Amino acid sequence: MLTKKTLKAATLGLALVGVAMGASANEVADYPSKPIQFLVAAGAGGGVDNFARVVRPMFEEAVGGARITVVNLPSASGALAHQRTANGAPDGHTLDFASTTYVTSLAAGQNPIGLDQLTPVARMQSDVMALFVNPERYPDFESFLEYAKENPGKVTVGGTHTASPDHVAFLSLRDASGLDMNFIPYDSTGNATANVLGGNIDATTTSLSPLLSYIEAGQMAPILIFSEERLDHYPDVPTTVEHGWDLTDGNDRAVFVHADTPTELVQHLEGVFQEIFASEEYQAYAERVNLDYREGWMGGEEYRQRLENNYELYSRLLQNGN
Amino acid sequence: MLEHFLGGLAVVLQPLNLLLLTSAVFIGFIGGALPGISGVILVVILLPVTYGMEPTTAFMLLTAIYGATVFSGLITAILYRAPGTPEAVMTAFDGYPMTQQGQAGKALGIGVLSSAIGGLVGTVALIVFTPILASMALRFSSPEYFALAILGLTVVASLGGRLIYGLIGATLGLLIATVGIDPLTGTSRYTFDNLNLAEGVGLIPMIVGLFAISEVMKRALDQDSHQPLKKVRIKIFDLPILRQIGGTLTRSSLIGVITGILPGIGASTAAMVSYSEAVRWSKHPEKFGKGAPEGVAAPESANNAAAMGALVPLFALGIPGSGTTAVILGAFIMHGLQPGPMFMITSSDLIYAVFAGLFIVNFMILLFSKPFIALFTKLLNVPYSALGPLIVMCCIVGTYSVRNSMFDVWLMLGFGVLGYLLEKLKFPLVSIILGLVLGPIAESELRRTLSMSQGDLSILFTRPISATLLIVAFLLLAVAIVTPMVKRLRNRPAASSSSEQRSNP
Repeated sequence: MLTKKTLKAATLGLALVGVAMGASANEVADYPSKPIQFLVAAGAGGGVDNFARVVRPMFEEAVGGARITVVNLPSASGALAHQRTANGAPDGHTLDFASTTYVTSLAAGQNPIGLDQLTPVARMQSDVMALFVNPERYPDFESFLEYAKENPGKVTVGGTHTASPDHVAFLSLRDASGLDMNFIPYDSTGNATANVLGGNIDATTTSLSPLLSYIEAGQMAPILIFSEERLDHYPDVPTTVEHGWDLTDGNDRAVFVHADTPTELVQHLEGVFQEIFASEEYQAYAERVNLDYREGWMGGEEYRQRLENNYELYSRLLQNGN
Repeated sequence: MLEHFLGGLAVVLQPLNLLLLTSAVFIGFIGGALPGISGVILVVILLPVTYGMEPTTAFMLLTAIYGATVFSGLITAILYRAPGTPEAVMTAFDGYPMTQQGQAGKALGIGVLSSAIGGLVGTVALIVFTPILASMALRFSSPEYFALAILGLTVVASLGGRLIYGLIGATLGLLIATVGIDPLTGTSRYTFDNLNLAEGVGLIPMIVGLFAISEVMKRALDQDSHQPLKKVRIKIFDLPILRQIGGTLTRSSLIGVITGILPGIGASTAAMVSYSEAVRWSKHPEKFGKGAPEGVAAPESANNAAAMGALVPLFALGIPGSGTTAVILGAFIMHGLQPGPMFMITSSDLIYAVFAGLFIVNFMILLFSKPFIALFTKLLNVPYSALGPLIVMCCIVGTYSVRNSMFDVWLMLGFGVLGYLLEKLKFPLVSIILGLVLGPIAESELRRTLSMSQGDLSILFTRPISATLLIVAFLLLAVAIVTPMVKRLRNRPAASSSSEQRSNP
């Protein structure tokens, strides 16, 4: 009797192990086994939303057919999208599309879903950050620097809401340069831009691609670029690294999944996104929306390292800031 | 410029484009009429469809949908007090009482005409003045926005009813507006650690709850399921009415264009400011809220004018003036176009075709609205016991779709109960909405103003536009408070002297 029971239990145990192993092996082969959700941690029509919607048909094709729905969850700087991803099944069928706002809001304490609950699959875009001014007011960074030094507390820099990538870029610049400047948060990049154009504030720290048309028209100019090397398009504009400030963060757009997703599956998904990234179609899109100023691709593991470092830096900046 | 416009018109009048515009108008009509489905959502849904189109055609389609949506929010606002879009909230205040008095046809007619006129004024301003107006809008910064919000808020004193109720209502609105993560410091306010409240209380759940749901509750609980009208005859061109609302139309269209052009202030705020001014300028402010034709004409002409006005900074500067235009900006970028200062020069063919398309759309609204509205008025014959649940269902689906949030649905139902109770107490909902919409503008712009000036309040009076607006607000407030006092004083001796005369024959 006893042996029979033991045998039964052993068989059952073996069977369970078999199922578990089979599942992890099949997870990749069977993917996708059900409809996929793209959760966009931002509102409809913005950069992250466009990114998810452009990638969607390419993803469909790359995994050999899938049913994908795109759901926008803009509330709480996208924290609801992260929450839903982290609380869902760890089977790679829920993908979280997010920007740098993910880590800035995490550092600000506005987003409870940390890097222990989400795994980055890939970073696809990195929009270059820069300091922009009205060139009639400040022809170059030297003149801006001089004015800011002579008038402590007088310089106002605008950008999107508190703890946004714009704000964090400002804080890191202020921290590194030691200049006494104030940040004014606006509801959108457009409002901050309008205030620089109208001469109501001195500058804005934001990403490059939305402001290209103003640069071409000569109404706005980047005077300092957050990058290691000068950009080919703007050979005369100095970089932060030249000034000895190690600030190279851009506004990134990346894809995340549940932290417990099997490693093979995460790697498989990373491969899918890498294939998409390398495709002509994707590159044409990146060029069209001016996201080809520097390499956008970064693998999941490398990106996690970067996010962890940034989380520490941003937490410190936001605590000292304001 | 005229040459360009005629060129654009020629593009629009091609049969295929005309067909596309017509379908865009109908799509916009349906989206606008359903509570919760807004222009933003429609544009996002249709954006991928436009990838295969030529940019000119694509943007004619998207902007036409945008224009038609703003218009058709009035239908359900007037007939069922369920504003189809946030822009149409103010229309419900007088439109729905008109329906209850059996004047639905008249209210709808006024709404259609006002929308078309407002839309045309806005389109003409867009075509003629885009470059000039855009540079003027840049002179508006935080101090000016603050002053504008204050000007709007002071109207609480001019609204009919008891002043104390108005003040309590406005304060309640301001209070609700403070919920959420403070955009300036990132501090959570009244969120109770609930992520759903981090973004604040949404305007759509609040409007849909306070107006549509509370009305359904009232009709159900108060056994007032009797619908007095059977046939609704919409009269769009009615000369005596036109004479009555002419002044309001002119003023509101202008207010609409100007507020629409200001980046960050949308058509909803424009409707509110123009309603406020209509009350203020009226000889009978006490009639507002009870079915005044001007109360329909003012917000409808203003919101359509503002919707067109919001395109001015988009085309001339690449800065969106409202939520939907922000999505259209995204659409331009997806098509590889870059709206900005050079856009008018580099893409003038496209822009003038879009302008011409919008011009035609306003006439299409006049032409097609009657048969479309007829679909909705037919529903009035359905017994309310069947229609009521249908309205509630539409409200739930619409509210959910805005942020894919079930929390918003519960919030909306909660506001429905609140609205029902407040109305039982004869509380003016209009003052709550004023506080809710203008409160965040006033608060954050004042704080931005103080950041700009390093804490010096005098900046509000050293900048000419904000100084003027604030002085006007102060004067109007003083007039609103002093006039009834003077009237009372004057009436007293007059009454006593007349009684004396009578007693001394």
